[in-house]
This record gives sequence, structure tokens and C-alpha cells, in this order.
Amino acid sequence: MNSTAHNVQEPSGPAQEQTVLEMQGVSKLIKGKAIVDNLSFKIHKGEIVGLLGPNGAGKTTTIRMMTGLIRMSGGDVLIHGHSIRKEFKQAISQIGAIIENPEFYPHMTGYDNLLQYLRMSDGAGVSRIKEVVELVGLQEAMNKKVRAYSLGMRQRLGIAQALLHSPKLLILDEPTNGLDPAGIREMRDYMRRIAEVEGIAILISSHMLAEIEQICHRAVVIQNGKLVTVTQLTEVPEARSEVALTIRVDKLEAARTVAGALQGVKVTGADEAHFELHVQLPDGAVPELVAALSEAKVGIYRITENRQSLEEDFLKWTGGNRIA
Amino acid sequence: MRKFNLLVLNEWLKISKKRSNIIPYVILLVLSLAVGYMTRTFAADMYASAADFTADSLQPRGIGQLLAILVIVGTAGIVSREYSQGTIKFLLIRARSRTAILASKYVTVLLYTLSMQVVATVGLFLSGAVFFGLSGGEAGIGEILTSLLYSTVYCTVYATIGFMLGILTKSTGVTIGATIFATTIDKLVISREFYKYVLFPNLNLAAYKDGGAPMQGMTLTFSIILLCIYMTLFLLAGFAVFRRRDVA
Ligand SMILES: Nc1ncnc2c1ncn2[C@@H]1O[C@H](COP(=O)(O)OP(=O)(O)OP(=O)(O)O)[C@@H](O)[C@H]1O
Ligand SMILES: [Mg+2]
Repeated sequence: MNSTAHNVQEPSGPAQEQTVLEMQGVSKLIKGKAIVDNLSFKIHKGEIVGLLGPNGAGKTTTIRMMTGLIRMSGGDVLIHGHSIRKEFKQAISQIGAIIENPEFYPHMTGYDNLLQYLRMSDGAGVSRIKEVVELVGLQEAMNKKVRAYSLGMRQRLGIAQALLHSPKLLILDEPTNGLDPAGIREMRDYMRRIAEVEGIAILISSHMLAEIEQICHRAVVIQNGKLVTVTQLTEVPEARSEVALTIRVDKLEAARTVAGALQGVKVTGADEAHFELHVQLPDGAVPELVAALSEAKVGIYRITENRQSLEEDFLKWTGGNRIA
Repeated sequence: MRKFNLLVLNEWLKISKKRSNIIPYVILLVLSLAVGYMTRTFAADMYASAADFTADSLQPRGIGQLLAILVIVGTAGIVSREYSQGTIKFLLIRARSRTAILASKYVTVLLYTLSMQVVATVGLFLSGAVFFGLSGGEAGIGEILTSLLYSTVYCTVYATIGFMLGILTKSTGVTIGATIFATTIDKLVISREFYKYVLFPNLNLAAYKDGGAPMQGMTLTFSIILLCIYMTLFLLAGFAVFRRRDVA
């Protein structure tokens, strides 16, 4: 095994990152009220970005502006450098989207519905329908009227519709709404694959924070139409120097003494009822601590990492359950 | 052009894939036979031939009003239903301009109107052939085509009104209701000077046949110009609103 191979860094950085979507100070005023307020962020090629915010934060409104369904009061949206306001056709041809619930013509079959959208896009042939239908697993339902589809089936057809013209940017408003667990998982695997293999950028708006946490590289958090924060979700191992651990032991006092004596280890608390010790220490010092505990004949039952979940962060950022 | 034709094909399929789409055509055929039968029964010597019967019945005074109503019912939802079904979102996020999409819908409305006219003409002629025979009479193909033209103008104007109302109100029900109401009052004549500038008395171009006029001082040219002005206004209003409107 060649261990140096691990040290070769992936070529990444601003130079290689191609911007697919650029929001430039986008605002939407309705009746004098700013629904979306001077929103700016970027999405790069192959990146999966979550758009988070409490109910009424302005996520759907933002997505409607990106897709040209509503006019913006200020700012601009660039898709691959094309302005959605001034070069609508070039810009929109790079976008595939689902906005809120996917709605189709109920009296037509799934196949006929997809044909409708195929006739409105340039370049894709009929064979593309077969491809996208297989991707979303709807082969069986293609000749059924959409009227007879379940919500999850319509959601899948919505994704098929969004991918039909091979867009560079996929915009999904609540895409897992109505999908069963297996469907959610399939969708997640599929999103990852198209982002990695085909370099498609994906913007997902969702309330399911666990969902976002698992799939997205970054999250854009908005509240009251304003940008709250943009946060990195995928871990860079080196960046996480400090870890917080909970260790369940048989002799709590002995453990506390041992841990306290070690350099760099901070004992942040102890739970006598559960024989649990809370410590904070550099990532590299974990084996040292474990060895020291064993040496002192302290039995270890569990070691768990205390990570703040996105949910806690989210509640912190948006101040709990206030709806704008 | 190919792209535009595909848009029209899309719209045509949305209408024709409805199972209920066959009904207005059946109504037209049945009605043609019924009118022929009744005329034959109660006024046997009114028409001498199928051509006479067809040319006369096709006019706005004949089955023209019903034809207009069927066209309105068939096409009133072409824009508003996209909104009520929510399909407008997927329709407008394509690499096609809103103008092209709306124009394809209007062309489809015109095609639908034409198809109804053709079916009505064929139905009436068949009915006439059965009840009055093919030979004799004064009218020929020329008269039938003239009637067809009058009827088409009448229905097209109403289809355009419905098209505009559907865009402005986004409600299929309101569109159908308001337009059908208009068809029921358009034969009223208000004997005032201003009334000749109103749309209604200008709708039935058949009134100018044999040197007549709907009102004093109106001519065929006057009516045609006025109809063109009204149609342009209706379409401008519809396109302007559709192009600018936020789709929420
Ligand atoms: N056409 C409109 N007129 C007036 N207010 C509107 C309009 N559309 C949206 N809003 C308001 O804008 C705010 C943002 O709405 P939006 O649908 O974008 O929220 P959201 O983040 O998608 O919420 P959710 O998580 O519930 O989907 C809400 O307070 C809503 O009431
Ligand atoms: Mg929303």
C-alpha cells in the first residue's frame, strides 16, 4: 500500500469551482413588505446545497424567482452566467425544478405528461424518457393516468420531469414530501450520484433537517427573507480538532481523576446516576485517554461523541419556533 | 416554427385526451339531425335542398349561438385550468417564452373553433341530404361557405373573449358564465347612435346579406374594422397580463 497516495489533495479551490447559480442581492417586495430581502449566495458545480428556514421564511418565493415564475423587485439571478430576467430561455434551459407540489395533467398518463415536457425542450430524444423513468423507478406506472398516482409517485414523476432535459442545476422544493423511507433513501443516493458523476448542482429546500444534514455539502439558512448564515455540513477531518465525548465507566471518581490529570483533557461534567463522564479534548488525545483509563483499571462501557446536530444549530440561528 | 407547432400539438392533446372531448361533436351531429327533422316535420317546404338548409342553419341566427357556446365550454379552461391544476408551474419553466406558450394556446382555440365549424357544416349537410334531398334549391357551395365564414367570425370573436377572460379571471366557471351570458344578450338592439360602436351588433355579419344592416348607418366594412379593433384589444390585454403576471 502506498500511504503517500492519501496525501494527494483533490484539486479544489476557487479556481476550479464553476459557479452554476449566483444570487445577486435578490429581493421581493409584496405590498411594501420584503418577503425576500437582498439575498446573495452561490452554488458551484457538483454541489448539493440545502435551503433552510422556518415556515414562511421565503424559501418557495426565492425558488419562484430563480425559475422566473415571479418577478424580482431587485437584484438578479445568474444561471451559468445567464440572467433569468434578461436571458430567460438560456438561463431556464439549464434548470430543472419542482416547486411545491408536483402537479400534472391528471387525465393523461405519466408517459404523455413527460412527452409534453419533452416537446418543450431542445435536444432530448424520446429515449431520454425511458432513462429518467428508470432512474426514479416508475416504469410500471407509465401507462397509468396521473389521476391514479399517489403523492410519492407524483413526486417521482416530478423528479423525472426535472431531469428530462439534462439540466445543470436541479432545484427541489420539499422533494421528499410524500416519499416513503425507501424512496427517500433512493432519492438521496441518486442525488449524490448525479452531483458527483454528472456534476449537477442541486438546491434542496426542506424542513427535514436530518435529511439535509445527510445529503448536503452546505446549507443556506434564511429567516424573514434574510440570509442568516451559510454553513459547511460535510466534515473536513482536520478542521475538527476538539471533540466532546461522553464516557460511561464503572468507577466514576477514578475516571475523573485520571482524565483530569491528562494534558489537554477538560472534564466538563459528570453524571453520577448513569456513571457518565463528559470530557472535551483534542481529537489526537483520545487514544491516550483510553489507554490511561485502562491502565488505571477503569472499565469503559461506552464512548459516544456529543455532536451538536443541525437541528440544534437551526433552532439557535432562527430563534426557535417563531414563524415570520 | 417546428418548436411552435410542437407547443400547439401539446395544447391540442391536452384538450383531446379528455374523454369528454367527444361530447360537443356528438351534440352537434345530433342537433343537426334534430333541426333537420323538426324543420321537415313542421315546415316541410321551407328548404328545397340540403345546401339551402345548411347555408341557412349555420348562421349565427341558426345554430351559431349554440356553436359559440360549445366552443366556449371547450376552450374556456385552456389557460385558467393550468392555474387551478397547478400545472402552470411546470409549463412556464421551459425554454419557451410566455408569449409563445400563450400564442400556441390561442392557435389551439382557433383550431378547435374551426373543427367545430367543420363538424357542424358536415352534420347539417348530411341532415339536409336526408330530409330535403340533394337536388334543387337555390343555394350552392358558395352560399354554404359564406355562411360558414359568418359563423366562424361569430364564434372566433366569442372564443377570443373567453380566451381573454380566462387569462384575466383565472376562473373557468366565471369565463364560461360571462361569455354565455354575452351570447344571450348580443341580439338585443339599443337604438342609440353609440350602440353601433359596441361589439354586439357587429358580430353577425350575415345581417348585411341582401343589402340589409343591423342598424342604420352601419356597413360591412365598418363592422369588420370594428371587430378587428376589438379582437386586437382583447388579445393585447390577455397577452400583456399573462406575460407579466407573477405565478404564485
Ligand atoms: N403572493 C403573496 N402575497 C402576499 N404574501 C405572500 C405571497 N406569497 C408569499 N407570501 C408571504 O411570503 C412569506 C414567505 O412565503 P414562502 O412560501 O416563500 O415561505 P416558505 O419558506 O416556502 O415556507 P414553507 O416552509 O411553509 O414552505 C410568507 O409569510 C407568505 O405569507
Ligand atoms: Mg415553501
